[in-house]
Amino acid sequence: MYSYAIPHLDATIHIALYENVSNSEELLKRIIAASTLEGDEGDIERATLNYAFVDPTLVTSLTQLQTAVYHALLSSSQSNLRTKTVHSEIIYILNPTNNITEALRRFGVSKSTRSLILIRVNERPPHPSIEELETAMNDLVNGEPVELDRLSAVTDWAAVRKVYKLNGDVVLAGVKGDEEKRIVNELVISTVATKSVAA
Amino acid sequence: KPILLKYRFPKTYRHHSLNASITKQRIGTEARALVRCRKFGVKVPGVRMVDLENGLLGIEWIDGMSVRQILGGGADDDLPEGDDDEDGADGEDDTEADDERVDHLEKFGISQDILLSLIGTEIAKMHRADIIHGDLTTSNMMLRTRSPSSTSSSPPSLSAELLLIDFGLSSASSMPEDKAVDLYVLERAFSSTHPDSEPLFAKVLDAYGKETGAKWPAIEKRLDEVRIRGRKRSMVG
Repeated sequence: MYSYAIPHLDATIHIALYENVSNSEELLKRIIAASTLEGDEGDIERATLNYAFVDPTLVTSLTQLQTAVYHALLSSSQSNLRTKTVHSEIIYILNPTNNITEALRRFGVSKSTRSLILIRVNERPPHPSIEELETAMNDLVNGEPVELDRLSAVTDWAAVRKVYKLNGDVVLAGVKGDEEKRIVNELVISTVATKSVAA
Repeated sequence: KPILLKYRFPKTYRHHSLNASITKQRIGTEARALVRCRKFGVKVPGVRMVDLENGLLGIEWIDGMSVRQILGGGADDDLPEGDDDEDGADGEDDTEADDERVDHLEKFGISQDILLSLIGTEIAKMHRADIIHGDLTTSNMMLRTRSPSSTSSSPPSLSAELLLIDFGLSSASSMPEDKAVDLYVLERAFSSTHPDSEPLFAKVLDAYGKETGAKWPAIEKRLDEVRIRGRKRSMVG
């Protein structure tokens, strides 16, 4: 798990990656149900599922995630959230359009998700300890926690280009391999960063 | 990786709501122009963060030197040890500056001619993307050394790359008139900052024309017309 802090926003962030996930469908059902569950039961369930569940297929780098996280935190601190929570905002920001449902469909967990990223943002103290979180996350996901350098192992670069509309771009003409990935990653990061001002 | 935070501080001489509106507009314009340039292969810093509320733009830190400093000029000759982001605490070596003109180009391993052609090429790529910079001066261009692995899009033999920065006043246009004005602004900036600028600028235009290809004649023609009607020109005949 990768943990870092943003002192000027008083926030701590934790990002974990799991492979060979077997309970994606169950998690998805729980997430959907939790939004309407009432009372204490609902609150507890929502607290248990208090993460951004991101499908790594369209994730090109850790920087892309961190960029989305930072902007979600900014929106939250400026009371500008377009979605309900800072976690859902991360998924919203990862997607280049303004359609929240589409964002969840593309970047969120689905039945077929095999690898899964969990992001937890703590916007104010108290900040949970890394051990607490790791245990909680491992309990939640039936999968194998791995190092974040496995992030781009499952990236579908063609799908990334499609979602971020990078197929016609001059700069990518005739470029292949690592060079292509580098350029696509850079464009993706910039696109995520400029979402608030995209034409 | 380091990031540069470009802070547009509130201009108290403006009405506050006008200021807020202008600031947000400028940031948005700059961010969008940078992304569009990048999509067209123009070398510009990557965008990392946009915070309209606080007037902040986060962009990739460019570890290089401004072309203005490299090409030098009479007025602002640099102290041999200086780099522009130092806070000027050590000002003792003034005497050396008068005798030596440091050749910054050496550090980058390219000739002045190559630098000038890099400038022309990059501007041409930007204009091909129909982006007008709006403030083309040598202070808004930077040179940095290239590591062999970083990019293959430019001739791999070059040890330096040129980046365009500061797109806050940019706009979008396909008109040769606007591109010609962009170039004219640079021409005037050249002549007012660097000695013996005409041959320098001519080399920039050569490379620009070459990279631009078929659209160059139209732009060149407009440039001639812009020159005639530019500032401090007598409009006779």
